[in-house]
Amino acid sequence: MQYEFQIEGGNFSGAGESTSVIKKTLKQLGIDSTIIKRVVIALFEAEINVVAHAYNGKMIVEIFEDQIKMIVEDNGPGIENIELAMQEGYSTASEKVREMGFGAGMGLPNIKKNTDVLNIQSTPGVGTKLEMIVYI
Amino acid sequence: MNNNESYFYHALKVDAEICIGCTHCMQSCPTEAIRVRNGVAVIIENKCIDCGECFKVCPVKAIYIKQDDFSLIFNYKYRIALVPAVFIGQFPEEIRTSEIYAYLKKIGFTHIYEVEHGVGYMISFFNDYFKKYSDKNVFVSSFCPAVVRLIQVRFPGLVENIIHLKAPLDVSAIMITQRLTEAGIQKEDIGVFYITPCAAKIAAVKSPVENTKSIINGVINMDFLYNKVQKMLHTDKSNVEPINHSLTGRDVKWSLSGGEASNFGENAFAVDGLKNVIEFLEKLENDEIDTSGLIEMRVCDQSCAGGILNVNNRFVAVQRLLKRANYLDQKLDGRYCFVPEIGTNFYSRVAKQMEIDEIKPRPIDKLANNYKTALLMKNEIEKIKAKLPSIDCGACGSPNCAALAEDIVKGFASIDNCVFLDDECKSIKRINTEIWNNNKTNK
Repeated sequence: MQYEFQIEGGNFSGAGESTSVIKKTLKQLGIDSTIIKRVVIALFEAEINVVAHAYNGKMIVEIFEDQIKMIVEDNGPGIENIELAMQEGYSTASEKVREMGFGAGMGLPNIKKNTDVLNIQSTPGVGTKLEMIVYI
Repeated sequence: MNNNESYFYHALKVDAEICIGCTHCMQSCPTEAIRVRNGVAVIIENKCIDCGECFKVCPVKAIYIKQDDFSLIFNYKYRIALVPAVFIGQFPEEIRTSEIYAYLKKIGFTHIYEVEHGVGYMISFFNDYFKKYSDKNVFVSSFCPAVVRLIQVRFPGLVENIIHLKAPLDVSAIMITQRLTEAGIQKEDIGVFYITPCAAKIAAVKSPVENTKSIINGVINMDFLYNKVQKMLHTDKSNVEPINHSLTGRDVKWSLSGGEASNFGENAFAVDGLKNVIEFLEKLENDEIDTSGLIEMRVCDQSCAGGILNVNNRFVAVQRLLKRANYLDQKLDGRYCFVPEIGTNFYSRVAKQMEIDEIKPRPIDKLANNYKTALLMKNEIEKIKAKLPSIDCGACGSPNCAALAEDIVKGFASIDNCVFLDDECKSIKRINTEIWNNNKTNK
């Protein structure tokens, strides 16, 4: 089963809606609430990253018998130094984004903590692709 | 239709004789617990949270709230009315609180005890609880039973955030029972009756979340007693002897919006109204809300002053209660006339009785116990949903197209129930063309 959502850069107020759709589906499937919580946190953080940094993007969630696979892909500035971005507290978010309560530098570390597999591909000036897996 | 794993008492009932099957209730239900079958609304019991939305929207008053027979109080020698502060808010200001209580006595109660007497203890129990579970960040108050049930069925992941303590109502019932037994009265001679502003409180007394028997012997609907008192006010001209009452302003405000939260520091806040509560819980569950401390949550707009058994306008009722609170505060000048005796044997005994061991999640979204089966069913639901018109008209007897798709896969409904997909229905065909330009069904 596959779900796809578009993400609009800069639209903080619309963030989280697609996550709620996925959450409802996972509840219907009877998936454990701790796993649901991990998926929801990872998706929301990834979505906020796109909203805060990129122009636009999309989220694809596939549900399999043994895992939930999530891809969040964007057209944006890309990540210069992935290792640095993985550090807690490191952030390139603008002052404006920080004032809105985002950009604390916890996004990627938080995704890492809540997923079983995390692959990041990024080309500076082109965009970023996150591939995340949570096993059921 | 019910997969009855366990039985839950519900106070909301449908009178099949009166119901016209209009679908209003079905479409207002926050847990999609209503279907129309054989021309009448049917409540799916394990989905219902007793919030009363259906009661509010029913145009023919077919939904009623089952209460205990009033004559039941006379089975007891000592008949205690546990009166919530909002009861006073139902009457015009010129009728004094003490008069209202005196009339309740004339009606048949031997003792009047205000529910909010338990508030002083409650605050202390909450603070003990926060210390004990300091590893937790967010605490959702357990005061509103509809909120507790809503979390159990729709937000099972948040069950652990509910404060596992009973309500002021229980403290007060323990306190008055204790006082009377200390005076030498036999326990079996004491009947404690709660006057309720809503259906959820009845359900909570009849089948408590913790699966033990409640200390309350019966529940009487507030509108019923309001009518009785009003009748006496109009016909009974004999003098009533005023009854002393001794709440503080803080106690009176407890059941109003913010009245609970205001006791627990600047991080605590209140959410009221069903839609607001659902929206908030959705975000809290998604971890989108960065907060810590107590969250007071009530499904009724204006909290208990908006309870479905209230007679007076909720805003007028709130105003009267705020005035009363103000008066009491001035009269007492900051002194509390009732201070819980912390550290005494009584305190620890009540504290023990207030604990709720476990609040079980009762997820209603789950399609099947087996994940693979659920996955197959979900696939099927999505396929059917894609064929349905997304008008959510409710003519099929399910609250919306998504719910119909789910009902079909679960075997509770047939795709033929959808009027828009039935080729034989000529008038529907015409509506389909003229109103919907065919774009709802030609998919």
